[in-house]
Amino acid sequence: MRRLATPRAWVRAAVLPVALLLPLVARADPRVEAKRHFKNGMALIADGKYDDGISELLEAYSIKPHPNVLFNVAKAYEAAGRPQQAIDYYRRYLDANPPDSGPVKEKVEKLEAQLPKPEVKPEPKPEATPVAPQVDEATMARLAALADRLERAVERAEAREEVLPAPAEVEKPAAATTEPTNFEVPYEETVVAASRRSQSTLEAPNSITVISGEEIRATGLFSLPEILRRVPGAEVMAMGLTNHNVSIRGFNQRISNKVLVLIDGRPEYQDFLGLTLWPAIPIALEEIERVEVIRGPGSALYGSNAMLGVVNIITRAPGAGPRAEVNGLVGNANLAGGNFIGSGGDKLKYRASVGYLQGDKYSRDYASGRPDVAPVITDENLGVRSARASLTAFYAFNKDFSLAASGGVNRLYTELYAIGLLRNFWLDGVTGYAKVDFTGGPVKLKFFWNHATFDAGPQYEPIGQRSLVTSLDTNVFDLEALFQQEFQLAGTHLFAAGVSGRIKRVHWGYIGPALIQEVHFAAFVQDEWRIVKPLSLVASYRLDRHPLLNNGQPGYAHSPRVSLVYRPFEGHAFRGAFATAFRQPTFLESYMDIRTPVPGVNGASVLTEGNRSLRPERLISFEVGYRGEAARYGLSWDVAGYWNIVSDLIVLSAVNPVPAAEAFDPQSGSFLLGRSLFSNDGQTYTARGVEVGGTWNAVSGLDFRLSGALQQIVPNTSMAVCGPCTQAPTFKMNAGFVYRTPVKLDLSSDVSFVTGTTWVEREPSAQDPTQIVNLQNPLGAYTVLNARIAYRFLSDKVTVAVVASQLAPNHQEHPFGNLVSRRIYAQLSVTP
Amino acid sequence: MTRALLFSSLLVLTACEPPPVFPGADKRANTVTGRIEGEVVVASAARGNVVLFLYDAARPPPPEGTGRPITFTVVPQDVLFAHAAPGDLGPHVAPYAFSLVPPGRYLIKGFVDASQDFVPWYGVTADTNTGDVGGAYVDPVTRAAKVVEVGVDANQVPIPALGVTVSFSDAARVPVDRPVFQETTGATSATLRSTAIRLLVDAFPIDAEGVYQPAPIFLARLVDANGDGVPDDSNGDGVPDFWPRVVVRKLAEGQSVLLDENDLDKNGVLDSEGVDYEHVNPMSGATIPADGKPDLCVLAAGFDFTALLPQLVDSMGRPNPAPTPVTRLELVVQPRAIDASDPLRPQVIKGVPAGKYAVTIIQQTGQTWRLPNELTPGLGDAVGLPAIVSQSFVVEVPAVLP
Repeated sequence: MRRLATPRAWVRAAVLPVALLLPLVARADPRVEAKRHFKNGMALIADGKYDDGISELLEAYSIKPHPNVLFNVAKAYEAAGRPQQAIDYYRRYLDANPPDSGPVKEKVEKLEAQLPKPEVKPEPKPEATPVAPQVDEATMARLAALADRLERAVERAEAREEVLPAPAEVEKPAAATTEPTNFEVPYEETVVAASRRSQSTLEAPNSITVISGEEIRATGLFSLPEILRRVPGAEVMAMGLTNHNVSIRGFNQRISNKVLVLIDGRPEYQDFLGLTLWPAIPIALEEIERVEVIRGPGSALYGSNAMLGVVNIITRAPGAGPRAEVNGLVGNANLAGGNFIGSGGDKLKYRASVGYLQGDKYSRDYASGRPDVAPVITDENLGVRSARASLTAFYAFNKDFSLAASGGVNRLYTELYAIGLLRNFWLDGVTGYAKVDFTGGPVKLKFFWNHATFDAGPQYEPIGQRSLVTSLDTNVFDLEALFQQEFQLAGTHLFAAGVSGRIKRVHWGYIGPALIQEVHFAAFVQDEWRIVKPLSLVASYRLDRHPLLNNGQPGYAHSPRVSLVYRPFEGHAFRGAFATAFRQPTFLESYMDIRTPVPGVNGASVLTEGNRSLRPERLISFEVGYRGEAARYGLSWDVAGYWNIVSDLIVLSAVNPVPAAEAFDPQSGSFLLGRSLFSNDGQTYTARGVEVGGTWNAVSGLDFRLSGALQQIVPNTSMAVCGPCTQAPTFKMNAGFVYRTPVKLDLSSDVSFVTGTTWVEREPSAQDPTQIVNLQNPLGAYTVLNARIAYRFLSDKVTVAVVASQLAPNHQEHPFGNLVSRRIYAQLSVTP
Repeated sequence: MTRALLFSSLLVLTACEPPPVFPGADKRANTVTGRIEGEVVVASAARGNVVLFLYDAARPPPPEGTGRPITFTVVPQDVLFAHAAPGDLGPHVAPYAFSLVPPGRYLIKGFVDASQDFVPWYGVTADTNTGDVGGAYVDPVTRAAKVVEVGVDANQVPIPALGVTVSFSDAARVPVDRPVFQETTGATSATLRSTAIRLLVDAFPIDAEGVYQPAPIFLARLVDANGDGVPDDSNGDGVPDFWPRVVVRKLAEGQSVLLDENDLDKNGVLDSEGVDYEHVNPMSGATIPADGKPDLCVLAAGFDFTALLPQLVDSMGRPNPAPTPVTRLELVVQPRAIDASDPLRPQVIKGVPAGKYAVTIIQQTGQTWRLPNELTPGLGDAVGLPAIVSQSFVVEVPAVLP
């Protein structure tokens, strides 16, 4: 088995000076504050208070530049009868190459015609703009003060522009995911996951939660699933330091497999096992522009595995952000890490990143030197060690044609709690990917390759027992063509259609000696029909062809979705949706073929087999929601209610006897106690729940966040022990704040509370290990508390922070998982 | 920056503390056990997997007792005889291990499954057959079975038992098939009332897929362990000790006929909770209240070997040292129930508990056969075992019996 060669002491010694020298830039989420200033400004302008309104708009622009603000400033000046200033700002708006540049240019020409000296070219900067001649002295004084204020605001904005991309690029997070920007709604929270195009969260047909990059950085956390705890309805189960299982609206489990995680549209789903290997993600959290979480079915757009939700990670656009950024952390329990991110380029833009992270487990399952059990691993304390690198490049041939390419590699060691009788595993290997996206007008072509090579096995094995160490090699190739077009037919239609093909190749000891290959195809179509101004109808349908879905033969899965979005007032949206989703069987579930030794009975094994006749897990979902905001008060909220019907869950059957003639298994040299087969659960479950979330930008620099989710899962027919029902927490809550003080001190904290559960897991009977029984393991309620304090200096280019995570009492989030305990670490970051 | 440096240094200093050990809910992680390791040494031309059984030393298997194995392990034929030529007597050596063994005293026995029909999960397949080669952990000089001890150290941490050699040789080759039998008429039950019943049981060949016992036989012999020429009478009941032996044990009420009363987990040890009967003082006839402990309820039973006596003794009336193969035995079952939970101090149970009783014949070789078994129609079909009506035989005690 391979190991990273770096000795721990060496790494600590190397990382410490890096951590001390390299700071972390603490950025707050500016969008909410910018929006608040923008809304205030627009309201003042509507009341005829042009100067105050313009001041607010420019304050918004200084926080987060957006070309529409310039447009509205220009309009305000125009309404105030100051054509010269209006012309100035219209010209600055035109610099952003907006889609409506033609009409705006005409407007500029008209305004120029109104000027007393039309031949004089307007100055580009407001400070150089002559005061309009028709004002009196009092107004002149006010305007002078305003000009001074504006000058400072613009300076701030321009200072930000030094490190931020051009305004138009701010709203284009990544070439791969770039969609037409809605220029009518500055500072509107935009998402692309819900409809595979950029749209306001108010327009989104799903329940969706957005976590901005600034919000992520403000937490100081180094593991993305920990940050996902703030998503209403999300269930984050930390089994180890970086071994998390994430589900949404119930049905979490070891090796959680019902939520699709995407990075810039590329799935991180590991098809061989059916999970997201979070520490394998080849990017730094600092590279994330935002994370969009669809709470609910997503198969209509994303196909299989987007059953309970989609986590769409969108990275910063190449060339965007600081040209260089170095971050480091060091903490207790051998926690150390760092990364370097470089970004730049002109025509050809790039973003490059390298990073390293290591840390001890929260706890170990076994003590050293036991007489009965021995470690298979060389470092019993190590929880994760990851060394990764990635490169993303983007080239625009012209406005309509562009090419984006990216690739990454991650040399990874991590722990992973496996299913059934298996417990804590180690994985040691390499993951990698390559991705190419071509955009040509309304057509996009996307290709990616996902690769993973691992050695893996139980971390501890009884001495003398047959080992379960295995190796894995997997490759996934995917090609997708996407077409998007807007047209008019009894309203506006935003139409999208796509086809894709995917080849999966897995060579893995747990599914047999041979390489297994599957070929999948899919097609989807979606139309968003804006019937009348406040009402839109979104209809989607996706067809997936899977090689085994028809009782072992190629079959189809259908995923329709219909959603109605009603926006009676600005900033308020009501939605209702019906959708279905599915999760296809993983390679493990279809082809598994392992003999698990019965603990303490070396002559016996349990044969666990895949099943090629599995039906996909199905979800039928009904959902209603309301999203609203009072931007002037910095308030936004989201309420959702859902009724999910889940059927055909894929579970391991009871251990059934094998025929006497097949009892001895030459492959394992043991007698098969029985066979456990992946099967479709005959039970149907109904999950009902309510989710509420809200944010409040109370004052400048201070944000509060609160969310809660209440759910109940019941079987449709009575059963003695309902695992999915008792394993889902009834209530989850998350609250937090971020305070960016005027004295450069940043404070943030968040707390999550999860009610108790009872986990039904199979174990050998204590009395007779040849009897495999389902045991109910109660798990108490637990609280997760994190806090961060940071200090910024040298013009915010250097930040020193201390982060304390898991400050609440030690706890388990699964009966077999680590004892989650405190991690305290120092962070330093510099943006030269 | 200075403060950050100091803080970071403090973190590094405290970074070396290893993560705590926390086993969670996993039962195995919570239980520290030992192990037994050693080698199997086979001096035989027989070929097959070596199956090793671990027994509690206090509950030896037949013929010494009725104990069942705690666990077992297999040394595959491919490993042990990988380089052995056909007919090569060896010795052939390979390692073995019993993992996760709690502290205690154990016996190790096993056999080379030359007949290659052993399956541990079913009573009808979980025993040796003709041609199998027996073995055990024995004293190399006396060849007597030795006890393996997994002890504990001063900290109560188990100490593994290492270098435990289990020897097999052709001297312990199993000479006969198991004592497969049926009631002579093929009946499926016999009713015991207030008087003893006599049942003729015949050796019953089975030649079916999964169960191949073509030549069962009873090895009849009077016991003369001390070699004084007089048949032994170890329990002092006036009846000479005789092989084969028979156990008629009560079955669990309302459960599968494969489950004995008070041993629902089939581990051969009385359950911690179960059926408890009142006892009777055999001298006074006084009732002894139930003691709250589950009983091992058996019926007084034995073979009437009167008709076989001429074949069991020599001309001097001394027990023949060699067993006499016979195909029929006469079983006598008395209307008397005994609590054999303590084999050294059996207690008389008040009355005869109503219900069904299984009949198990134990051969001198340690081989056994039980009725009813998995060949009972409806029980073994799913796993490919043949269905034979006569193998569902039980002794029934009606409720009216006083």
